[in-house]
Amino acid sequence: MLSTFGDSLALLTSVEAILTLILGTMLGIILGALPGIGSTVAVAIILPFTLGMSQAPAVLLLLAVYAGSVYGGSISAILINTPGTPQSAATTFDGYPMAQRGEAGRALGWATMASVAGGIVSVLLLILAAPQLARLALNFGPIETFGLLLLGLTCIVAVSSGDMIKGLIAGALGLLLAMVGGDPITGTPRFTFGDFRLIAGFDLLAIVIGVFALSEVLLRVSEKLSGTAEFVSFKGIVLPRLAEWKGRLKGLAKSIALGCGIGVLPGTGAATAAFVSYAEARRSSPNSGNFGKGEPDGIIASEGANNAVTGGALVPTMALGIPGDAVTAVMLATLTLHGITPGVRLMQDNPTLIGAIFAGLMVINLLLLPLGMLASAMAAPLLRMREAFMLTAITLLCFVGVYFVRGNPFDLWVMVAAGISGFILRRQGFPMAPLVIGMVLGPTLEMTLRQGLIITNGSFGAFFASPIAATLIVIAIATLCWPLLSAARGRFRSRRGA
Amino acid sequence: MISRSISTGLMGAVAAAGLCLTAQTAQAGEFPERAINLIVPFNAGGGTDLLIRGFAPHFAEAIGGQAFVSNMAGGAGTVAASALAGQRADGYQLGYFSITIATIQPQIREVPYGLDSWTPVCAVAASPTMFFVAADSPFQSMDDVVTAVRDNPGQYLYGSSGPGAITHLSMVAAFEGLGLSDHVRHLPFQGSGPAMQGMAAGTIQFFGDTELLMQGGDLRPLMVFNAERLEHLPDLPTAREVGVQAPLDELYLWGGLFAPAGLDQAVRDQLSEACRVATESDGFREFADRTGTVLRYMDADTFDAFYREAFGAASTLIEASGL
Repeated sequence: MLSTFGDSLALLTSVEAILTLILGTMLGIILGALPGIGSTVAVAIILPFTLGMSQAPAVLLLLAVYAGSVYGGSISAILINTPGTPQSAATTFDGYPMAQRGEAGRALGWATMASVAGGIVSVLLLILAAPQLARLALNFGPIETFGLLLLGLTCIVAVSSGDMIKGLIAGALGLLLAMVGGDPITGTPRFTFGDFRLIAGFDLLAIVIGVFALSEVLLRVSEKLSGTAEFVSFKGIVLPRLAEWKGRLKGLAKSIALGCGIGVLPGTGAATAAFVSYAEARRSSPNSGNFGKGEPDGIIASEGANNAVTGGALVPTMALGIPGDAVTAVMLATLTLHGITPGVRLMQDNPTLIGAIFAGLMVINLLLLPLGMLASAMAAPLLRMREAFMLTAITLLCFVGVYFVRGNPFDLWVMVAAGISGFILRRQGFPMAPLVIGMVLGPTLEMTLRQGLIITNGSFGAFFASPIAATLIVIAIATLCWPLLSAARGRFRSRRGA
Repeated sequence: MISRSISTGLMGAVAAAGLCLTAQTAQAGEFPERAINLIVPFNAGGGTDLLIRGFAPHFAEAIGGQAFVSNMAGGAGTVAASALAGQRADGYQLGYFSITIATIQPQIREVPYGLDSWTPVCAVAASPTMFFVAADSPFQSMDDVVTAVRDNPGQYLYGSSGPGAITHLSMVAAFEGLGLSDHVRHLPFQGSGPAMQGMAAGTIQFFGDTELLMQGGDLRPLMVFNAERLEHLPDLPTAREVGVQAPLDELYLWGGLFAPAGLDQAVRDQLSEACRVATESDGFREFADRTGTVLRYMDADTFDAFYREAFGAASTLIEASGL
């Protein structure tokens, strides 16, 4: 045991490994911060470089880029209201309002601390309980996953407190967009209007970038360029003081637990975790009244959860050889290329390598703190560019990012259309977050619902035979109805008072 | 225009990043005068992408020029195929298409290409599919499966990685070929990973894929859709031995290089020969071995005949699957 640990450390302390960890994490943060380059893309860009490396550094490089990119998405989410990755969409809700108040540094400080905490706890969990957790996750079939996603969908209510009806309309629009493409069960094309390019549906990234980033550019242009120097005032990360954590630790713990749990489940992912966690925090936080106006608890909920997914998603990958999402699938392919057979015996057969991976993940998460500060410091002068240059740069990044990995010109049209539609909708006061939530959760929600109906021979009532699913569905419905009930009660009271 | 300039810029970036693979420069006037583009119809980082990135340097060396890999994803691979089908057949743009893109999609979707849109250049890989149950499953042989399914119609579920995927069609071939397609139900998943989770949890009982899948999960193969038994698995019966009727008894996950129809014969043969050298090179063999890919080279004429036959067999499968 101890000698294995020593061997693992030896693997980790080589110059190659140390450089890999530092450069990989930094690269991940930068790629994640660039709008349009999500975690999967970032990992895919790095993959060819790992072919020439030895086992441990190759895997560590991918992990570093993965964890870095999940964190990096929060930088652009907070500074320019554009989630660098879909996982960080929930961070914009409170991160950007804080930045607009001139507290961008503090917002990033909260995001960084929550990310580091989430990442580290999830790695500990991976080290201590991977096999047991993976077995538990097997109990989570399509029906249980459906319950969880339904709960995630109630997040739409949480993020559209300003105007519930408009939020729900945007959410429904997102679900509708998610239905374009092949029917997940029969393969029959839906809403494609005979265009084969839509067989696999809209590219999520193209829509996210369109409605968040491009529409933001259009909004600013339409509001007459200010010409003054600063976009948002930002001089570097300001870490929260210890005293400021008072009353927020419970929320952090909860969001990390949610992130770890959702990460372990197949087919959900970091974006789902961030949305669910945000909705839960808004429900239970003592500061819930400030949510959406720049409340640190909202940032903590989103970033704590999405970084906790990184360790969680590796649980089924490491323990069962089953990839939890696209990123871990790429990781498994890399292991195979390096002559390691993924599967149930992976951890028993390669204790040294696994030890190095676990220890490396720990280091990567710790590195997020100094490297995150460095990356933000680099971003600060960029933000002092004249607004016109800034907007041009963002637009360019949108186009390059969306085109990069798929190389599909059609995606650019989708992005432009989404940008213009997003602009019009936002001018009318429709929030865009519910739309993205609908699009992210829609496909899996539909898939699991219909899988469940196949399993139960078409009986929705049989869903409640699963205690996990029944609990989740009931909570979801209660969450959905609560604001309506309390609003009705409030109206009743005010009428009586008058 | 914008996309053109971006793609040129990206190519430059990609080349600088070391993805572009150079061999000696060709003499002027001879094919190839410039770099050959190998088009992967899926995202960077997927299995197909990985295979072609391993193939490209050996191919470049064999052709005596340059070759680079580009990705064009979307429409389950049909976006790249449709784009390539409209290009000039000059041999500088080759797509790596699988059985589903080349023979299945054009028969179930409105896509702007079909049987005669291509000059098949060479086959690179072909793995027979297998019929799997979980390793702890009570089914020890196909006889057990047939008996159980026949006695309990509607009780058993087979999984797939999605409707129309090879994983789906292999199960259709199995149960249609055994005359049991009305007795089992299909439960598609979003990819093979979640399906394997469903297999481990017992939600589905049967799954079909290539041998590569056995590396990851605890699976037991019960038959193989190959012409004869596999050398390294001599006890595994073929689908025909079990009683699956032709043409459903053979099903391969294959992939090969395609150029647009009307490619000059001399260029075609030159590309095909380079493809042979690359496929048989030690370096690529070792690479394919590690990824569990079964290499199977076919020259242009053989591949052309194979492709046309596969197109016909696919229509039988599609009819049986109700796609």
